[in-house]
Amino acid sequence: MRAYITKRLLIAVVTLVGMSMVIFFLMRLAPGNIVDILFESAGYVDQADKKTLERELGVDRPLVVQYARWLGELAHGDLGKSYRYDMPAWRIIKPRLPVTLELASLALLFSILLGVPFGVLSAVHQDRPLDYVLRVLSLAGLSMPAFWLGMVVILVFVRSLGWMPSVTYVSPFVDLPANLWQFVVPALAVGYRSSALIMRITRSAMLEVLREDYIRTAWAKGQRRTLVVWRHALKNASLPVITVIGIEFAFLIGGLVVTETVFNLPGVARYLVDAIQLRDYPVVQNLTMLIAIVVVLANLAVDLLYAWADPRIKYEKA
Amino acid sequence: MTPLRRCVRFASLALVLVLALTLPAPAQAPKHGGVLTIHPLTAPPSLSPHEESTIATVQQVSACYSSLVYFDPAKKQESPDTIIPELAEKWSWQDNYRNLVFLLRKDVKWHDGKPLTSKDVKHTFDMVRGAADADAKLRINPRKLWYENVEAIEAPDPHTVVFRLKRPQPSLLLLLASGYSPIYPAHVPLADLKTTCVGTGPYKLKEYRPGEFVEYVRNPDYFIKGRPYLDGVKWVYIKDRSTQIAALQAGQLDVAGSGWNRANAETAKKGKPELVVVENDSNVNDNVLVNAKRAPLTDPRVRRAVNLALDRKAYLVGPRLGAATFGGAMQPRPSGVWGLPAAEVATLPGMGDPAKQKAEAKKLLAEAGFGPNNPMKLTVSTRALAIYVDTASWMVDQLRQVGIDAVLEQIETGVWHPKMTRLDFQVALNLTGTAVDDPDAMFFENYRCGSQRNFSGYCSEEIDRLMVEQSQTLDRAKRLKLVNEIDRKLQAEGARPILGWAKQYAVYWPRVKAFPQHENSIFNTSRFQDVWLDK
Repeated sequence: MRAYITKRLLIAVVTLVGMSMVIFFLMRLAPGNIVDILFESAGYVDQADKKTLERELGVDRPLVVQYARWLGELAHGDLGKSYRYDMPAWRIIKPRLPVTLELASLALLFSILLGVPFGVLSAVHQDRPLDYVLRVLSLAGLSMPAFWLGMVVILVFVRSLGWMPSVTYVSPFVDLPANLWQFVVPALAVGYRSSALIMRITRSAMLEVLREDYIRTAWAKGQRRTLVVWRHALKNASLPVITVIGIEFAFLIGGLVVTETVFNLPGVARYLVDAIQLRDYPVVQNLTMLIAIVVVLANLAVDLLYAWADPRIKYEKA
Repeated sequence: MTPLRRCVRFASLALVLVLALTLPAPAQAPKHGGVLTIHPLTAPPSLSPHEESTIATVQQVSACYSSLVYFDPAKKQESPDTIIPELAEKWSWQDNYRNLVFLLRKDVKWHDGKPLTSKDVKHTFDMVRGAADADAKLRINPRKLWYENVEAIEAPDPHTVVFRLKRPQPSLLLLLASGYSPIYPAHVPLADLKTTCVGTGPYKLKEYRPGEFVEYVRNPDYFIKGRPYLDGVKWVYIKDRSTQIAALQAGQLDVAGSGWNRANAETAKKGKPELVVVENDSNVNDNVLVNAKRAPLTDPRVRRAVNLALDRKAYLVGPRLGAATFGGAMQPRPSGVWGLPAAEVATLPGMGDPAKQKAEAKKLLAEAGFGPNNPMKLTVSTRALAIYVDTASWMVDQLRQVGIDAVLEQIETGVWHPKMTRLDFQVALNLTGTAVDDPDAMFFENYRCGSQRNFSGYCSEEIDRLMVEQSQTLDRAKRLKLVNEIDRKLQAEGARPILGWAKQYAVYWPRVKAFPQHENSIFNTSRFQDVWLDK
């Protein structure tokens, strides 16, 4: 197992280096650079001042030199300076991380809590009214974009109760109930979509497993229904579900842009889009790398969970 | 009771009733306390107003700073008559408007406790005008042009400042009264002021989270005793327009409306009828940049045809939803001070009968060699922002109606100004707002030969000469005549056709009192020293 993890981590490093190249050079392909943007907000362009500023920020140097400098800084844990705000990039990224992590984690929690049990129930009650109701609900979840659902929920709250979640971030360490109120609605809106996907995968995996011989044997032996369904069947049906959960978590970290915008949550996803528009290279590069690391680690975690879920899977060499 | 006494009693009651109904209600005494939560146009790129020209910065930082003089928040129109003292106790023009002398207040402290002196004023404006011996240099300096007539700034003693000018310029006082002319502390490094604020204003910076909010608390040492009324001000940036409206309706915002159009204000009001909606004129115009250096616009007939094709009344009901006024280069009167007379505005190109003007445009195009068999191809460029794209799309439609094969080009905001500066466009739709309603700010920035913001590349030696002449004319009536003459020529030559002047909105709860809004500037109202909350 240790050798497998080491190998996967080495592959991860290679993947991240590849990602860093894609991120760095793709950003430079977009028209305009940070100096253009800085002058944009000033409403004029002075060629002499522009050259001075390009020199000051180092964006006049060859791309390879800029890339090497960034990797060097990254290796030393230095995330550089936000060109836009003229402050350490970490100072901008740091307060945004907990927001996105909390939203993504809560959304994932809701999606698992809703998706897995409903998927199991749907499979167990195949082609019965409960199955149809749950399938319609899951189809609705997949069809409705989270931001639209979120906006509708906000409007309903405002119109009927005259209330909406706080538009400024409330830290759980300052006011936990207010924080939960702020995050429950967006997390449910996002989690509902993910739960629909998880439910469908769980249902199909369960249907397959419930037809296996060992399940039939368990029924024949008179095992309790809950034990057969929730222990024997679900554990064996969980491989594809774990895969989907892993993919969804990775997606959530970077894919919450619109939800964070609608609910005015100052997370990394929303800020990443702003930073791309502002060509704030250090912030974009480091945030994207962070998301890439989360995706790589989530995939690794999923692979390791396979062994837990299915003892037949071995990572050691035969 | 005798009939006489009954009559007297009845008459007395009637008198009391009439007086109660007709006399103005006694003004409510302002209350102290509360935090004003307000939504800005957008998040500020930095907290340094001298390095930015977006309203976002000046809007959200004005509460922290003070200027030498300021526009009276309570007067709706900004003009030389509405300038009030701020850091300067008194000022006087000397040597036939060549020297402007300010006497500073002696009781002003920076937010870090250090006293304000004339050195701070000299430091600020030497830096902004890019003086060779300035003790700091602005990385980006958008308003250097404003102070090019300043020859020297002297600080003979800690509380006296003298601006020595190359020629008379009465408008300098107005430029100094703008929200874009705050005094910076000489003892704080310039780079620090991008992310923090050390000012002398009514509020001290509590916390700034880029892209999220800027929060201030009351400055107990503010030099105007008894002010400000509020305990604090919090500017909260909400990106999504629907969320802005919902947040206002839910009471999470006290004030919103910056950047809204009439439809947004009406939607908010419809959901909460008790909200107060204030609609005012503003000094932001939609204008057309016509690149006279690029074919086929090198032909003056084509330029005039483009101008005539754009029916201004259709613009008003179309992209501006009925909320705009018409004028020339200067904001139209009565909200503006220097605009062309209304009768003259009605005769400008695009203002007449649309059918006749479109027919004339077609005729001019035909004379220039364009017609149904040889349609003129034209690209209308604009910034990829909704407020620009709506009007530019309307322009494309109008141009097609006269047989021009127009297409829309959306330019990402980051490359918009570089492209305009390079004159890399044919026709473009632009929005222009100047910090003060004054010809020196408007003309020199946007129409002078070689100016960095003269995006249409228009250049006329005669207009340049007239610009200087009006700038040093001391008699206001004579100056108005000159300004109108310049404006007339600019409109006749189609230097930068103006489609119209947009309206601005402030939407707030009735508890918000003395919220300032000026009808000829959106830039100089955010000090908030007199605003209070009735709750």
